[in-house]
Amino acid sequence: MTMLGDRQQLAYIAAQAADARVNVELETEGMTLNIGPQHPATHGTLRIIARLDGEQVVWAEPSAGYMHRGYEKLTEVRTYPQVTALVNRIDWLGSFANEVPFILAAEKLMGVEAPARAQHIRTILFELSRIANVSLFLGDLGVQLGAVTPVFFAFRDREYVLNLIEAATGGRFHPNFDRIGGLKDDLPAGFIDETRNVMKKLRTFCDQIEDLLFGNEIFQSRTRGIGVIPKDVALQYGLSGANLRASGVDWDLRRDQDLPMAWNKADWKVWTHPDGDSFARCWVRLQEVRESTKIVDQLLDTIPAGPVMAKVPKIIKVPEGEAWVSTENPLGEMGYYVVSQGDQGPFRVKIRSASFNNISIVPWVLKGVYVPDIITILASLYFILGDIDR
Amino acid sequence: MSSTETPTEAPRDERRDAELARIVGALGSSVVDSLVKPNDDIWIRVSADAWKSTGETLKSLGYSYFGFLSAIDWLPSPFGKGEEDPTEPAPERDSTIKQGYTGGSTRFQVIARVMQPFSSLGVNIKVDVDDSMAIDSWCSVYAGANWHERETHEMFGIGFHGHPDLRNMYLPTDFEGFPLRKDFPLLARIVKPWPGIVDVEPLPGDNEEEGDAS
Amino acid sequence: MGLVDRGRLPKPLTSLFNLGRSYSLWVYQWGLACCAIEMGAAFGSPRYDVMRLGVIPLPASPRQADLVVISGTVTDKMAPAIKRLYEQMPEPKYVISMGSCANCGGPYWDSYSVTKGVDQIIPVDVYVPGCPPRPEALLEGIVLLQQRIKNEDMGARWRGEGTKPMNVVDGESAEKGGVPVVVN
Repeated sequence: MTMLGDRQQLAYIAAQAADARVNVELETEGMTLNIGPQHPATHGTLRIIARLDGEQVVWAEPSAGYMHRGYEKLTEVRTYPQVTALVNRIDWLGSFANEVPFILAAEKLMGVEAPARAQHIRTILFELSRIANVSLFLGDLGVQLGAVTPVFFAFRDREYVLNLIEAATGGRFHPNFDRIGGLKDDLPAGFIDETRNVMKKLRTFCDQIEDLLFGNEIFQSRTRGIGVIPKDVALQYGLSGANLRASGVDWDLRRDQDLPMAWNKADWKVWTHPDGDSFARCWVRLQEVRESTKIVDQLLDTIPAGPVMAKVPKIIKVPEGEAWVSTENPLGEMGYYVVSQGDQGPFRVKIRSASFNNISIVPWVLKGVYVPDIITILASLYFILGDIDR
Repeated sequence: MSSTETPTEAPRDERRDAELARIVGALGSSVVDSLVKPNDDIWIRVSADAWKSTGETLKSLGYSYFGFLSAIDWLPSPFGKGEEDPTEPAPERDSTIKQGYTGGSTRFQVIARVMQPFSSLGVNIKVDVDDSMAIDSWCSVYAGANWHERETHEMFGIGFHGHPDLRNMYLPTDFEGFPLRKDFPLLARIVKPWPGIVDVEPLPGDNEEEGDAS
Repeated sequence: MGLVDRGRLPKPLTSLFNLGRSYSLWVYQWGLACCAIEMGAAFGSPRYDVMRLGVIPLPASPRQADLVVISGTVTDKMAPAIKRLYEQMPEPKYVISMGSCANCGGPYWDSYSVTKGVDQIIPVDVYVPGCPPRPEALLEGIVLLQQRIKNEDMGARWRGEGTKPMNVVDGESAEKGGVPVVVN
């Protein structure tokens, strides 16, 4: 699928050179464009300050902090269940996925492991939140490039997944369902059959988006060859998730790490793409949604019986120690470094969020890029403001 | 997909022990202390003047993925959890500084994490920050450290020598104070403290496994 | 219009204008955080379609909007931008504060960088509680706002007279004017 044609590359470079000549003649240097913080095309309150030379970006800088809520300070004055409720809201589209690494870190410190049924259900809900998150990305991708229709498909099909999560946990987003030692509750009756139906619908949705968007000639010419990030630069900046896999790095924390979750109970594939451009990033995410539906289908067949909660004391005091757990969240690698000094609440929690690193590459990748491509690159890098700003 | 669900103790230990031996061999005397938790992680603490060369060495050893860089303030908070009545005199609080894994001798420590891609082996590196409140920057080693150091600087007040542009990341430019230090108060909690545990009443037909109810 | 200002318009005409205004609101979506997704679901998804209420979520700029829905956490850094964009809206304008973060600071009530409620910056007409409120809750807030607009005295508004809170009983608002509170 790698079609980074030389001809297209050469055409792009020639266009830039032609522009540079025009810019010198017309003296177009030095306009500062301020995108955001309120802008329909950014996923939230991100402000990009770009200094332009004609239509090209000379220097760009994201100015984050418009959604900074002070998570790391707040976790110091809350107990572990309260922190779980708070931490849902970092990546607010795939909320369940935020709780999991924190709970796993706390369980590591306590030395408890959730029962097999709980691990299984956690994985199912984790993948459901990944589907909910990335399906909105696919819809929003269209909007940011000017195609309004996919977003209606995305919202409609996302509703099915949110209904599932609501049936199981009580909340459409922000389920607050994980507890140290397991889950709050067991699955409701009829969940398994309903989930199978919804997974079929989502596969149809993926096919529709692929037809509507990815095969479209305009989409391809707007995303192929734009914003190429080579492998070593991506690793240096700490890019993670689909962004890294689109640059050709075959690394997935679900497969390559040993966590007490059920990903190794299903047979699934890690998708990569060698190009590293915007199209690659979008394409990898589409394939990941499809793969997630397959994982959920397989896991639904094999849920073990048993309790959903291990034996933990009523008032939980986590023993002293430090723990790091990171998982492959929908946005990338999200990790928590939990420092505990034996209290009911943590002493310090460092939240390593994926979008922070993903966006730190923006000054590097936006040099020399045209103004409409700024939006394309940001759309393909996919960030959520709560994740950047915590 | 291929690793088993119940890893046996010995192989993972050996893997991490071998890795630690490799790291310590490359870093030599810069490593002040180290720790391997079996099936868990590797921690090392290095001396402050070897901070930058540690990064370069680790990168050459294959730890090319930059995880994060932040700091820990080991002072116990003088405000507790903000659950006491503000009109009462403040209770006696223990203010001894007790560092965590791999020890330390200062109030502030900078911690960074780098990983090897594909194998997912990572190492947590700690360094003491002395009273000069500044260490070297990792920007020339890992480009991604730029933003992390800016955030650590604005939250803790730790300086980084050689950082190109140490501005505020999140806070407005006129913000005073360093929020993540333990002696920075959360004013809303001091004005009106959280009432704490109000009710602990079991739900109808509840088991004893529910967590606390505050 | 000078007639409205001086209160000389006959009542049927006033109620006709009010009816027209309440069913042709242009909403400027100020989506900040998680509530923005529920707002997007309310406005953009085919299930909780808001256009059937006459509310159109597509103004290109605040200068063309009647109603702004502030959804999500308001931080101190963002507050001046909110104020500036509110001032750009032409009168008569209405504000719905959606979600507990915009109502009162929400789960981040003790944070050092969060404004405890958007009503510290701009006047709010309807508060929709929830974290996040369901799209139906936002629609109920909009319906209540429409009831309020229908009963509004435009002359009093343009003369700058203050407004009384509106009593909401079982979702039906009774008198004119005021700051209604959505009781869920």
